[in-house]
Amino acid sequence: MNSGGKKYFAGIDAGSRTTKVVLLNGDSSFVSAIRPTGLNVGETAEKVLAEALVAASAQTHDIQRIVGTGYGRVSLSCADTTVTELSCHALGANCISPDIRMVIDIGGQDSKVIHLDQDGNMVDFIMNDKCAAGTGKFLEMVARTLEMDMDNLSDIHFKGERPCQINSMCVVFVESEIISLIARGESAADIVSGVNHAFANRIGNMAKRLGLKQQCVLTGGVAKNRGLKDALTMYLRTSLTPLGIDPQLNGALGAAVLAQRLSH
Amino acid sequence: MVLAVTETIQDVHNDFALSLEMAKEGGQKVVGCLCSYSPTELILAAGAIPVGLCGSTQEPITKAEEILSPDQCPKVKATYGRAVAGTCPIFPLADCVIAETTCDGRKKMYELLEREVPMSIMDLPQKPETPAALNHWIEEVRQTKSFLEQQLGVTITDDDLRSAIVMGNKRRKLITDLYYCRIHNPGPINGLEFINTMSKLQYYTDFDQHIATLEKFYSELQQLIEEKHYAHSADQPRILWTGLGNSLGCSKVLELVEECGGVVVCQEGCGGLTRSEDQIVLGENEDPIVAIAKRYLRVTCACMTPNSQRFDDLERLCREFKIDGVIDLAWQFCQPFEIESYRVKELVKDKLGLPFLHVVTDYSQSDTEQLRIRVEGFMERIATRKKYADRRL
Repeated sequence: MNSGGKKYFAGIDAGSRTTKVVLLNGDSSFVSAIRPTGLNVGETAEKVLAEALVAASAQTHDIQRIVGTGYGRVSLSCADTTVTELSCHALGANCISPDIRMVIDIGGQDSKVIHLDQDGNMVDFIMNDKCAAGTGKFLEMVARTLEMDMDNLSDIHFKGERPCQINSMCVVFVESEIISLIARGESAADIVSGVNHAFANRIGNMAKRLGLKQQCVLTGGVAKNRGLKDALTMYLRTSLTPLGIDPQLNGALGAAVLAQRLSH
Repeated sequence: MVLAVTETIQDVHNDFALSLEMAKEGGQKVVGCLCSYSPTELILAAGAIPVGLCGSTQEPITKAEEILSPDQCPKVKATYGRAVAGTCPIFPLADCVIAETTCDGRKKMYELLEREVPMSIMDLPQKPETPAALNHWIEEVRQTKSFLEQQLGVTITDDDLRSAIVMGNKRRKLITDLYYCRIHNPGPINGLEFINTMSKLQYYTDFDQHIATLEKFYSELQQLIEEKHYAHSADQPRILWTGLGNSLGCSKVLELVEECGGVVVCQEGCGGLTRSEDQIVLGENEDPIVAIAKRYLRVTCACMTPNSQRFDDLERLCREFKIDGVIDLAWQFCQPFEIESYRVKELVKDKLGLPFLHVVTDYSQSDTEQLRIRVEGFMERIATRKKYADRRL
């Protein structure tokens, strides 16, 4: 262990819904922390960074460089550099495997598909338009309407026998669509399964518009929904490469990788 | 100095309305135009003042939505709003308006706009390369000439038309030269200042004075180049703008691009270079109406099919202006430009190998932060490409 020098590289991903911190050690092992972003982006980021430092048994002066990313990146006064999450997701995925060529990231308020090269450079991207269709917010709304938590939304998917046809991808109108499906006597499992398939088609088409690549990973909080992952795999007719880390951390990991690269 | 635009678009409109009123008191007539397809030579030949009335600001949209559904492109709503909201000082000064059946939104909106002001709505053929298209369009231009004669109480002779062609060509040549000042790298002016100035200069009541102002702007830019007074450095990403417009007060994406370190050096499409470089060629003994009709049918809007010329132009301009990346903007609900964007992407990304960004937005400021991510990401993409291979077309 190098006791003298600064040995950590920090990545802060201040997302619209959650803030993630990754502290990357020189030997590529890392610790992380995560909590809801809330209203004060800068303050939350500092708290999450402090939590990560506790987990690493390290102190602020052990950090050599901090890279900030995410919607709140402009509010991160502690960051030495800021860069978009598009570039960070590419770097994070590249750190996991240099063979990865495509990232599908579904965050709280947006979704994006990113192409990357063997060095982790983001070479192209596409993002959803300004409404919340195809984002984590949409699934939160579905869960709330069905009085479920997000984990249930993932599990119950596999119990659906005849997935319902869901037409509205709008966060506002999906509520009334689901209510009418319930009124028609459809089971919660069929509704959830239908929602995941409709969601997967929307995201899948975005990926197809940019161009499908083998060696694709799914990141962001929504990647924890196994039902959606299953539906997306079916729609794209390709397997998704296992990420091996918490999919919510990929952007922060990429930011930490950049902090390390910039220090060399 | 021509260069500094310190006014808002509202100030520009107010000032211009005053000079229009004075010109009208002096007996001059004013004719509104709504699109690049309007043959302004007819207006010049009639001795009237052509005025662009296309809506490019958010303000009149709320009023327009009392009649039009919100799911229309902002340009259609803002143009209609200018007429009915009572906030545009210029619109009421138009004696009549020339418009064309370009896209569905405009065409149907004109049916309502016609209730506010006398209009000549020209039927624009949308497969312009077919032989029948030109003949049809020539008749439409003739009818609009008769409409103007009737509305303005004048007779437009062939000699009037020939003089107007000379005037129009002179103006277009100067505007083209202005666009080409931006080929210099480093350049004398950034994109925002340039479009602000051009938006302001498009309004004129006295043609000769207008030409003099354009000449002055041109010599100012030339002088800046000679004296090496540059507004941007040689290593800033050079962006080509295509699709739908930018103008004073309607430039949020362009502002983001330049805030993020890029510089928009070339504009193709609505209000851009390709709308000025194409001249009217009047053959010996040719009917001037035919020459005018030919030129305006060549305008490359996405309402045309297959609109191949736009792609030839884009490819040429990417090379001429040594472009690092292309932004293609479509207003929300603009089907023609949104769908055509797929072919622009094929050209820019696949054939030319340049970074490409398609942006869909409206006149509001509500999506600025979402747009910022795209624009910053696009700049990061360009920076990586430049770092890896400092190879240009």
